Amino acid sequence: MVSKSKAKVLPKGVSAADFDKAVREIRAIVGDEHVVVDEDKLAPYRKIMMPVPDDQHELSASVMPDGVEEIQRIMKVANKYRIPVYPVSTGKNLGYGSAAPVQRGQIVMDLRRMNRIIEVDPELCTALVEPGVTYQQLYDYLQEHKLPLWFSCPAPSAIAGPVGNMVDRGVGYTPYGEHFMFSCGMEVVLADGQVLRTGMGAMPNSNTWQVFKWGYGPTLDGMFTQSNYGVVTKMGMWLMPAPPDFRPFCIQYPDEADITKIVEALRPLRIAMVIPNAVVIAHTLWEAPCTPVKRADYYTGPGAIPDEAVKRIQKDHNIGAWNVYAGLYGTKETNDANWKIIEAVAAGTGGKIITQEASKGSQALEYRFDLMKGKPNLGEFGLYNWRGGGGSIWFAPVSQAKGAETLKQMQMAKTILGKYGFDYVGEFIVGWRDMHHVIDLLYDRSNPEQMEKAYACYDELLHTFAKEGYGMYRANTAFAEKVAATYGPVKRDIEKRLKKALDPNNIIAPGRCGISL
Amino acid sequence: MYARRLAVCLGTLAALTAAGGAQAEWRDGGEVYDKVCRYCHEANVGPVLKGRALPEEYVRRVVRMGNRAMPAFRPTEIDDATLADVARRINGSEALARE
Repeated sequence: MVSKSKAKVLPKGVSAADFDKAVREIRAIVGDEHVVVDEDKLAPYRKIMMPVPDDQHELSASVMPDGVEEIQRIMKVANKYRIPVYPVSTGKNLGYGSAAPVQRGQIVMDLRRMNRIIEVDPELCTALVEPGVTYQQLYDYLQEHKLPLWFSCPAPSAIAGPVGNMVDRGVGYTPYGEHFMFSCGMEVVLADGQVLRTGMGAMPNSNTWQVFKWGYGPTLDGMFTQSNYGVVTKMGMWLMPAPPDFRPFCIQYPDEADITKIVEALRPLRIAMVIPNAVVIAHTLWEAPCTPVKRADYYTGPGAIPDEAVKRIQKDHNIGAWNVYAGLYGTKETNDANWKIIEAVAAGTGGKIITQEASKGSQALEYRFDLMKGKPNLGEFGLYNWRGGGGSIWFAPVSQAKGAETLKQMQMAKTILGKYGFDYVGEFIVGWRDMHHVIDLLYDRSNPEQMEKAYACYDELLHTFAKEGYGMYRANTAFAEKVAATYGPVKRDIEKRLKKALDPNNIIAPGRCGISL
Repeated sequence: MYARRLAVCLGTLAALTAAGGAQAEWRDGGEVYDKVCRYCHEANVGPVLKGRALPEEYVRRVVRMGNRAMPAFRPTEIDDATLADVARRINGSEALARE
């Protein structure tokens, strides 16, 4: 039967007639111009970097509400017609799914219009923002108001935003780099339309929402990260006072096996907070594209780039096999004292220090140093030029901050990537005791063979790592179900029971992080 | 462009509260270029756009569709009128000065 609906696809199990009725009712809530069904105009939502056909993540429509009340009303319509909505904030979770829904046919709820910086408290160093606020916007705001406050941001900072990144438990590069840890208080619209404020925000007239996380009773914030139990409409975040003295540096190491001694040397400094920020240990092939070095200048043959070519890149461009990025954040006196420790550690481990003064003119170093003080840029997008063709998925297992573990993970990843003809483009981001081992699986999305191989490669990486007990900290929407499965049946059962209790009609992003009824 | 425009500054040490929560708006296409495009297209990441008389329609289309690794931008991020201004400015721009 030919559908009368303009929608190219419909949500699973929803008739064209019901879909059209729902869209009409949603139009009445947000205004005609804020609902899109035309296929052409939905193009920006369709752009993905994952190795699966676009069709798999095709949306039926997008709705762009502005305000909590509109979202509450949309929830009612979605429940009435059992239509799933997929909330996105800035939609720039590139390589993790971008703005496309987790399942075909869902209506994307685009929250980008909700971009108010609601409050900044310079004494308490807190901010309260909406989902559509970008890091660039917040940066400009702080600059314009001459507020000496820093935030931590991920690499695509100029176009991504704090709410979406924190909700996906993303990380950045300042001392506040574990972003969810430095969030404080959320406002969430639930599937039944109720509005929950977490922590102290639940209490009428409270002025401690952005300063004390826990409130009374179970603390609920974590439930609304990497999940689909509600639509986060506001989030508090802590800002860091700009230190009187900031001293970023890079330490380069010549050999891949040096990762062991690097991690052993740095872990104590990180745990003791001599180095307070999220240290990055980046491999040559992460640095090279951001320098920029062209892969084709070193290798044009089949398969992964050989180690010999990687060595030549290191030599020609003064790039380490590993490049450690960290900073000292303090006063001149404290940083002078701690600098001696850094120098001793570098000397003792065979590392070469590059200071900020010596970094001038190096694109890779400069964008890193900017990120370490929360200055937005897009320097890391140089990665996408390495293989070209717009294919990228992040493989991101968690590791202990122990040298032998990192070496083992790096070797495992490199072997599997090589088997499929892909390069090891990886880095470790050091939490206090963990490492986010982040690998960009770069491939040419216009090449069907590479698409197929990239999917199979990620699949093998995921399952091989899981067998060793290594789980992902975050995953793209195409692999959400498979990644969730690696965490075992009990956790999934609890997640499902929570979903049933909070969203019995399964209308908020079913399938997100593998949670669905 | 942003919430800051309507923000009420209650003194240097008081909380800054955006009155009614001001929404971000781009000042013009020039600001979009500086705060979005330039980060890649003047930084050896994406191709240089200025000075090539790129057709406006082409620029608008690539921004909305994306192109290989270039992300697509939605009207909620860059509205049609501002995007048209971005395209106009890129089309009529002088080449970047070479260092």
